[in-house]
Amino acid sequence: MLQKRIIPCLQLINESLVKTIKFSNPGYIGDPINTVRIFNELEVDELCFLDIRATVENRQPNFKILAEIANECFMPLAYGGGIKDAETAKQILSIGFEKIVLNTAAMKTPNLVSEIASYSGSQSVIGSIDIKKNFFGKYLVYINDGTQKTEMDPVLYAQKMQELGAGELLITSIDRDGTWNGFELEIIKKITDVVKIPVIANGGAGSLEHISDAVKKANASAVALGSMVVYQKKGLGVLVNFPDKIELEKVVA
Amino acid sequence: MIYTGKICTKCIYDDRTPAITFDDNGICNYCKSVENLIQEYQTGLSEGERRINEIIEQIKKEGKDKKYDCVIGVSGGTDSSFMIHWAIEKGLRPLAVHYDNTWNTAIATENIRKVLTKLKVDLFTLVVNNKEVDDIFRSFFLASVPELDACTDLALAETMYRAAAQHGVKYVLEGHSFIAEGVTPLGKNYFDGKYISSIHKKYGELPMKTYPLMTFGKFMKWTVFKRIKKIRPLWYIQYSKEDAKKFLEKEFGWEYYGGHHLENRMTAFNHSYYFPKKFNIDYRNNTLSASCRSKQITREKALDEYYNHPPYLEPELLNYFKKRLRFSDPEFDKIMSQRPRYWYEFPTYKKRFERLKPLFFLLSKANLVPYSFYMKYCFPVNKNS
Amino acid sequence: MITIVNYGMGNLGSVLNMFKKVGAQAQVSSDLEVIRKASKILLPGVGAFDTAIQRIHAVGMKEVLDHKALEEKIPVLGICLGMQLLTEGSEEGKLPGLGWIKGSTFNFKNRIDSNLKVPHMGWNTVRISKQTALTKGYEGEIKFYFVHSYYVLVKNENNSMMKTGYGVEFDSAVVNDNIFGAQFHPEKSHKFGMKLFENFSKL
Repeated sequence: MLQKRIIPCLQLINESLVKTIKFSNPGYIGDPINTVRIFNELEVDELCFLDIRATVENRQPNFKILAEIANECFMPLAYGGGIKDAETAKQILSIGFEKIVLNTAAMKTPNLVSEIASYSGSQSVIGSIDIKKNFFGKYLVYINDGTQKTEMDPVLYAQKMQELGAGELLITSIDRDGTWNGFELEIIKKITDVVKIPVIANGGAGSLEHISDAVKKANASAVALGSMVVYQKKGLGVLVNFPDKIELEKVVA
Repeated sequence: MIYTGKICTKCIYDDRTPAITFDDNGICNYCKSVENLIQEYQTGLSEGERRINEIIEQIKKEGKDKKYDCVIGVSGGTDSSFMIHWAIEKGLRPLAVHYDNTWNTAIATENIRKVLTKLKVDLFTLVVNNKEVDDIFRSFFLASVPELDACTDLALAETMYRAAAQHGVKYVLEGHSFIAEGVTPLGKNYFDGKYISSIHKKYGELPMKTYPLMTFGKFMKWTVFKRIKKIRPLWYIQYSKEDAKKFLEKEFGWEYYGGHHLENRMTAFNHSYYFPKKFNIDYRNNTLSASCRSKQITREKALDEYYNHPPYLEPELLNYFKKRLRFSDPEFDKIMSQRPRYWYEFPTYKKRFERLKPLFFLLSKANLVPYSFYMKYCFPVNKNS
Repeated sequence: MITIVNYGMGNLGSVLNMFKKVGAQAQVSSDLEVIRKASKILLPGVGAFDTAIQRIHAVGMKEVLDHKALEEKIPVLGICLGMQLLTEGSEEGKLPGLGWIKGSTFNFKNRIDSNLKVPHMGWNTVRISKQTALTKGYEGEIKFYFVHSYYVLVKNENNSMMKTGYGVEFDSAVVNDNIFGAQFHPEKSHKFGMKLFENFSKL
């Protein structure tokens, strides 16, 4: 049976691991290579790294660190952050990453999605959509690490990404990021209702119940965990961990 | 090949151990020190038990209206994991504190998680910036001094104080056991905040921003002004590391990482490679001697373990060290072959500690500094031993 | 020494690292002379079937590989696209495969329930259909990481080593004497992949 994917999603700012709350106030988490080693030993099924400031700081991805991460990992890896052209994407894939994540670049140069998808296959492209609710409760897409608002409707944008060739979608709620309050189920479901490609729910996971809700109520194919895997509990110390596999199985079955 | 010089008849320290003397029965002064400490603290006896219970009552009283009544440093190792369990058994409400030097193994992190989750204990972590701490480690390696991991020990102490102060807690519990670990000989190893900043100033490149440096001022602040006490329960009660390990494994699924301090990769590099190769020192004699004294193993077995079995070196550890601290193989080899240097060749607080001996005597009597601190830091050391 | 054949397709770093991790000696090479002397071969592959076959032919590698696999009969392990290349052909392309194992490679699309997404991507379980030197030591639930849009069906059941279900039941691992194939990515399947590589290195 194809397993539901639970993916630690780690935020990088250049060479340091951090964790934000609502895309702000990055708290320092530690060394990425050492953390990868811990996840290796915890035998997590997949990892995702996002350099959250690469685009706004106009930086290239840090290939050196990415190569070290890929060398250490014995599970599938995804990377996003500052990828603006096909060359960069190809380089990251050849270093040892299975998938690349496109966010701001996908909005600014949509053809990039198709270009990479046709070269390396759709399954290597994850379209990342950051979403915030406005005062009237309307969902809007944001880019540039949540600093730039667009008038794009996330559901329409998700369909567009699918058409362009994205193999899956990473749907992140900026409002819920780092809050431990659960996912933005409403918008995730709206998107899973209209796309055929897998959707990864991201932003807000705080308990096994939240994970279950994302899968069962919002029909997410996969769930990303942020704060839950780097802190002991909400408001407490840094402690790299992963939920018990048996417990996880129970809630996503 | 067992050493042919004079070896203590009770433990396995020998005449190469700094500041060692032997009595007429061939028993060394370190064994005597341990005996004295046992006498002083009535370790494992009903009086020792009574004294620690008294201290516990005091801790509870002073922490009554606070969220936590004590702070316990955790590393994922045997002693600190046991301490948490012991504290909960005694009805204390500890805050676990961890200083993450970013070189932890998964076993250490998992051990911390398993124990704290089952006992429902909150964790406070201070994670130092990985680039910063690597710069400090690099500095110490370049300086060719033995105290490669000193910055971790001092940072943990500072972190525990900070966590205690933040929560208004007056007691820090440490899992140090002179019975299980022995008394580290005085002499070639030393560290304090000034030593760390001196070495870093000379060989480091990145400014210290997140690294919690314990300056003399901070040390005085925590002890004299905030009056945060340091208690070492294992100095009073009956404690066997072997029994503790078995208990932790059974109760929490805790895992042993194969050697004293090997749960952290920097300490593992230090003990398994750096000390033996560069300084020709194998610190396993500390724990082995302690095990002899407490009759956990026979002296014959300890000697055999020490001389016939080299320290365990995790296969990829050297590569990890070199890669992380950015040393090529030739650079690494060159530094390893450089002449060893010692703490007295750099600025430290040592003279100041010696001058303030009376003050620290009083502080140790009030449990504001451990007695072993007073013994080690406030007396001049014979550098030629 | 395991020689990982580099014909320009596939990420070889992780494969090399996993062999290192299980304590096996391995090297990457595109040099025909080196491959000629190989005692074990690993055939990697990510991408399109025809592109791979063309590349293998173009540098004269096909003759060397045929000789090593079919005449010298050294142990060979093909992974992902590398396993598909072992078959007679694929619906993905027009060129014939290496033909070392009788069977073909088919497209998931239009053959499985439309609710199942293509490519088959993620961790999935396998059942051992034939015990071999490579299946030694596996206990309990066995799973691997898959990423593929085409699947293999062997003609003789005797050549099936592991099977997996995804809309259809297909051969997730195959065997023909000294030649082995794995559709999944052992180098991305942590402890499960390590066991496979370890067993292969011990042949």
